[in-house]
Amino acid sequence: MKDYQLGEFEEIVLLTVAILHGDAYGVSIKRDIEERLQRTVSVGALQTALRRMEDKDYLHSTFGESTAKRGGKRKRYFEITDLGKQALAYSKETRNQMWNAIPKTVFEFSWL
Amino acid sequence: MAVNQPPQLATKLLRWFCKPQYLEDIQGDLEEEFYDRIELNPNRSSSGWYWWQIVKLFRSGIIRPFKPIDSTQKEISMFKNYIKIGLRNLWKYKMGTVINVLGLSTGVAAFVLIALFIKDELKYDRHHENADNIYRLTIKNFTSEGALSRHWAFASAGHAERFKEDYPEVIKATRFYPWAFPDLLVGDRKFPAEQVIFTDPDVFDMFTFPFIEGSPETAFNTEQSLVLTETSAIRLFGNDWQTEGVIGERVTLQRDGLNAPFTVSGVMKDMPEHQHFHFEYLAPIRFIEQVFGESSMSNVTGNYNWLTYLMLQEGTNPVAIENQKDAFFDKYVGQFAQGGDAKDYYDFALQPLKSIHLHSNLESEIETNGSIQQVYIFGTVAILLLIVACINYMNLATSHFSRRMKEVGVRKVLGALRSTLVKQFLTEAFLVNILSFPIALILAELALPHLNDFMGKSLSLGFAGNMDLLIGLLLLLVLVAVFSGSYPSIFLSRINLTQALKGESTINSNKWNFRNWLVTFQYAVTIALIFALAVIESQLYFVQNSDPGYNKEQLVSVGLSRNIGNLTTFKNELLNHPNVEKAAYASRIPTGRLADSWGASFNQGDSVASVNFRLPFIWVDDDFLETFQIELVAGSNFSADMDMIEDSVGYYLINETTSKALGYDNPNDIIGQKINYGNYDDQTFKAGRILGVTRDFHFESMHTSITPMIMMKGDNMRTICLKLTGDDHSQTLADIESLWYEFDQDNTLNYRFVDDRFNEQYQSEMRLSTMIKVFTSIAILIGCLGLIGMVAFIIETKNKEIGIRKVLGASAGDIAINIGYRFGILIVIATVVAIPCTFLIVSDWLDSFVYRTSITIWMIMLPAMVVILVTVLSVGIQTIKAALVNPAVILKTE
Repeated sequence: MKDYQLGEFEEIVLLTVAILHGDAYGVSIKRDIEERLQRTVSVGALQTALRRMEDKDYLHSTFGESTAKRGGKRKRYFEITDLGKQALAYSKETRNQMWNAIPKTVFEFSWL
Repeated sequence: MAVNQPPQLATKLLRWFCKPQYLEDIQGDLEEEFYDRIELNPNRSSSGWYWWQIVKLFRSGIIRPFKPIDSTQKEISMFKNYIKIGLRNLWKYKMGTVINVLGLSTGVAAFVLIALFIKDELKYDRHHENADNIYRLTIKNFTSEGALSRHWAFASAGHAERFKEDYPEVIKATRFYPWAFPDLLVGDRKFPAEQVIFTDPDVFDMFTFPFIEGSPETAFNTEQSLVLTETSAIRLFGNDWQTEGVIGERVTLQRDGLNAPFTVSGVMKDMPEHQHFHFEYLAPIRFIEQVFGESSMSNVTGNYNWLTYLMLQEGTNPVAIENQKDAFFDKYVGQFAQGGDAKDYYDFALQPLKSIHLHSNLESEIETNGSIQQVYIFGTVAILLLIVACINYMNLATSHFSRRMKEVGVRKVLGALRSTLVKQFLTEAFLVNILSFPIALILAELALPHLNDFMGKSLSLGFAGNMDLLIGLLLLLVLVAVFSGSYPSIFLSRINLTQALKGESTINSNKWNFRNWLVTFQYAVTIALIFALAVIESQLYFVQNSDPGYNKEQLVSVGLSRNIGNLTTFKNELLNHPNVEKAAYASRIPTGRLADSWGASFNQGDSVASVNFRLPFIWVDDDFLETFQIELVAGSNFSADMDMIEDSVGYYLINETTSKALGYDNPNDIIGQKINYGNYDDQTFKAGRILGVTRDFHFESMHTSITPMIMMKGDNMRTICLKLTGDDHSQTLADIESLWYEFDQDNTLNYRFVDDRFNEQYQSEMRLSTMIKVFTSIAILIGCLGLIGMVAFIIETKNKEIGIRKVLGASAGDIAINIGYRFGILIVIATVVAIPCTFLIVSDWLDSFVYRTSITIWMIMLPAMVVILVTVLSVGIQTIKAALVNPAVILKTE
């Protein structure tokens, strides 16, 4: 089984790209994460994660249109690849397995 | 509004560190968000945010690699292209390549060889750990007039000990005394006349002599210890001396009936070649002290036979010791019996050990030293030859510029910067040098045995374990390549783009450009060398062909040994040989040195005045003047019935210079005058009369002037000189050899022809002459190659001019003159510059001779004429060829 390395932030970014399906570029991804998770994201952190995952083939990018606000610079749209989907699935699967492995009593106890 | 724009500086920063392929969209994202933020809240400054985002982008993954991979690859591929084009050009113009490589490799080979030689010369005596603090004590003698008469490399027996006792700065002192070559006995085998050196025990603390057997501490444990070197151990005990163990072996010293048993106490490594003395046997000086007695060991004046070295405390200035001179001689000598303070007649000088080999050329040096003058001359010539070779490359590389003009134009159109072109042509210079260096090394390797043979060296070009040489050669390669490639690359990269592509000649060869200076420099070097050679050769011719005042032809000198008992019988036996015409004994013979000198006083009427100039002597017999064919200008020769030893009255012969120095311009007047001559200390002082005056003759070489001298009849003879007749000298010498063995079975016959000895006085000058000849040939060779290139360049640029001139009626000769005249100007300039510079050096060299040739106008004209001849030969053919081309062929290609 292939080892899918996925950090916490990376996973969030990957999920957001999937959520924004077709409209995922730097600014939109950043805004979505900030709104959804109520946390600030720096361009640096985001870009590093995007590029790293592109290198790992979880993401694929293409240049899109440019706007006046961007000073004529093109957007780079990100798309999740099949490998990226597998990585997300694998990540979710392992979490679920782990959730399931927790004895019920742990939660009950904590509820008390 | 400027405020509402992203800070430029931050953007610049991003642009600088961000990977270029990410830059566009990241920058776009940043700007979009920046303006979004302003729309959202126009009052808030977003610049800080923008800055902060960019700072946070500065992390791995975003930052581009420090060495831009792209541009390195581009450089590499460009270099591949330069090399490819360079090699193609070298291959295409084979003749030019051959000329280039030949010129460079010859120059480099000469440089490498001279560098090896100089490095070797500078190495002397540096291996001793204490080399910096060791000084040789040398003694100066003065005449009563205060003029320096002799400067001796040796000191007297008593100096070393007194220096060590009196001056605390002198921490060690040692003498080396070669005691009269005793015979050595090992078992029943006899080794005649070995050079056993007696020395002080300090020697092992001062000099670094590594021991193979034994140790420096135990070397002189007894008074009769003997330290060998590897070579002498092999001589005495055979090749397997080490396995047999020689420590403790008995070696008997035999001399004059003395039989002293010595014990081998150690074996040292052979003294290295780079040392100014070489000894094979060392023995304690205490032994000699007993033989000689205490009194003669305390002598501090005269008897300069003790090579003396002092080791000073670290940081002591030797001048401080030298300044003690007056006190020293006052204390140990004071006043002479015949009047005068000793301190006025003697001085000492301390020579640093490391400078002895190159800087010292004193009376009776232990071995022939090198000369710093020679090092300077060779060094200068080496650098000049290298520059000349580089200039050659420059000339040839630029002379064919038109071949490369279009290429340069196209490269410039395609975006080549000037620096790119400079790189390209430097690469080509490197290529030619990389081709030349192996050839240079092969040339050097081939010439090395001759140089070694000639200079008496054992230089080698071995790379194994010799990183210095390798690094040196690499540095030289880079240096030569950059220097020789500098001008061509600047010149070629300067070519104007449009003109280059149009095919117009952009270089006007009529202009006085840098290339002319280069050629002038080449001419100047060649002229300087030829001029120097002319002066040296003329001086050598002068000294070897002017009359020395005696006849040196067919004269053989034979060194005597102690075993020749009866000198009279030996001489008569020799004279019995039909081919031995004359024979004469002497203590020293012309071509040697007048090293022995005693005191003299001269009776002028009733008063006796001591002679205030140095008056050296030689012992001779009745036949000396006749054998050497030295003329008497007044008085008569010794006759058989006169005997200096037995007779109460002495007889003296003097030379004309002595007569004049004593105040008698007419030698006839001095005949019969009384002179007292001798060694005051030894009581051999003898009153006598002047019997005859000889014509002046050059006893010593022509480096020194003819000095006064006195000849005495005596029996302290070291040499017999034989005047040979007949043609078959080898047979005569064989007969003499067999006669020799009847008198001496131990020693071999040791003979030399006097004319060989005569020539040897000028050996260093002859060597210099030969070396300069070689250098001159190299300079001329390289210069010719350069000229050929230069002329090719001129013809190329003047092709059309030649054509038009021909159409208008010029003859081939006119055209040759038109092209050739410029070289005339260059030669004149080169002569004007080179001759005075060389004159200074050469006249300095000539000053080492007292009798010298004068520099004539011919010597000044000769180099220019040689250079003109060479120029005409190398320029003429090409020019005539160019001038003979049908002008229609040239002119139709417009």
